[in-house]
Amino acid sequence: MVDNVISLNEIRAKELSRKFKYGYMWALFCAVFWGIWYLPGTAIWVLNPFDEMFAAIAATNGDSLSLVIVAVLITALNALTCVIALLLWNAVLGKHKLKELKRTIFDFRKCSKWFFLAGICGMTAVFGSYLAMGFIGAAFSAVAGLLYPVVGSTVARLWYGERVSRRAAAGIIIIVFGGISIYAGGLVSELATGSVQWFGYLGGLMAAAFWGIEGAIAGKGLDLAEPDSALTIRFIAEAGYWWLIVIPALTLLGFPMMTYALSIFEPLVLVVLMFAGITFGFCYVTWYKSFPLIGVGRGQGIGNLYGLCAVVFVFLFFGTSPGWAIIIGGVLCVTGGMLMFTENTDGISSLRGE
Amino acid sequence: MSKMGERPLKIRILGIFNDGKPHWNYEIVEIISKEYKMSGSYESSLINFDLVELASGGMISDVEQKMDTEGIYKKNFLLHKYVITNLGKEKTAGACALGRN
Repeated sequence: MVDNVISLNEIRAKELSRKFKYGYMWALFCAVFWGIWYLPGTAIWVLNPFDEMFAAIAATNGDSLSLVIVAVLITALNALTCVIALLLWNAVLGKHKLKELKRTIFDFRKCSKWFFLAGICGMTAVFGSYLAMGFIGAAFSAVAGLLYPVVGSTVARLWYGERVSRRAAAGIIIIVFGGISIYAGGLVSELATGSVQWFGYLGGLMAAAFWGIEGAIAGKGLDLAEPDSALTIRFIAEAGYWWLIVIPALTLLGFPMMTYALSIFEPLVLVVLMFAGITFGFCYVTWYKSFPLIGVGRGQGIGNLYGLCAVVFVFLFFGTSPGWAIIIGGVLCVTGGMLMFTENTDGISSLRGE
Repeated sequence: MSKMGERPLKIRILGIFNDGKPHWNYEIVEIISKEYKMSGSYESSLINFDLVELASGGMISDVEQKMDTEGIYKKNFLLHKYVITNLGKEKTAGACALGRN
């Protein structure tokens, strides 16, 4: 009898650790996909029609505004290719997931409203990242976004009482120091040259703040939905906001959005856009999958390794090496994430208090 | 009953737990499979994963486990018995399950 109890406890512990293992595994995949995303995200700017579009708008409205407008079109296309990638993902998972997607969308009041809200945060964050990429560079954009777990953990704690342990709090503090290094490093050298790319820094802040809030909102909605459906809805929402509201509004203001949107049908441009959609879409699939298993704060903490992946990939593929401030900041952010990651999991079978 | 089948899976599952009684995972898998016309081990595992997610979200609580020695659900793995939590009840009453019946 006693033997039985012990072995049951052992199996129980094993099962719990398996759950955490899967959660962390998903989060790690998220980091890799997310890191890779900065490759197409960087390459797309120099391709036509975006290059031409930038030159055309810059001629009348100046470089900065032009870059912002091009970032809008790129982000909107990014959302669209993510929707395609995710619909395919649901189809691959089987007919149940497609039916569940439909059920979840139509349960708007109870369920999908959270994902439409997450879509607003998501669109601001992605747009911010593209701004940071366009104005400053991929490495800065990636590492600046690393601050999002700080926002995510704080919001999750204040809003629905997710436990943040001492260790996690220590990790968060280290990440904040990393953030200071990234921003201060870049700003100091730019202030010396006299031209500061404010839009880029603002973009970095937008990415961090809104990805954090998005994660917390998503955590709320995931209580009642399956992540595969939730996520697809979140991207359909984002694509909707861009293509039904922002792009028409900019068109009315006289920007040639549709002209350039309709000239993307060249093999290389489509491949790069689809690559962005697949990597970004799947980084979200894996991210959302990790939340119910390990909690929003920790899911985001591990996903954080994307910053390191991005810096390495950008270096390997484009040969641009980031400045020391970014490397030190990135290492601090990853260390902070690791502190949250290696937290002792004993006794946290449920991640939330009642 | 057919109207029930239109809700997202997790909401329907919480609706079942809302009777306040504990349920074994294989019982839930059986009920849901029937209502949503799902079958096979792959679709069963999708339903079971919803239970895992609901439990880790604190909606339901894992109150009892036993070894599945006979292969009722998955041989030599744990069977779980869950009961709805206060948080789960709140969700069910306020934001979720039974509001549209």
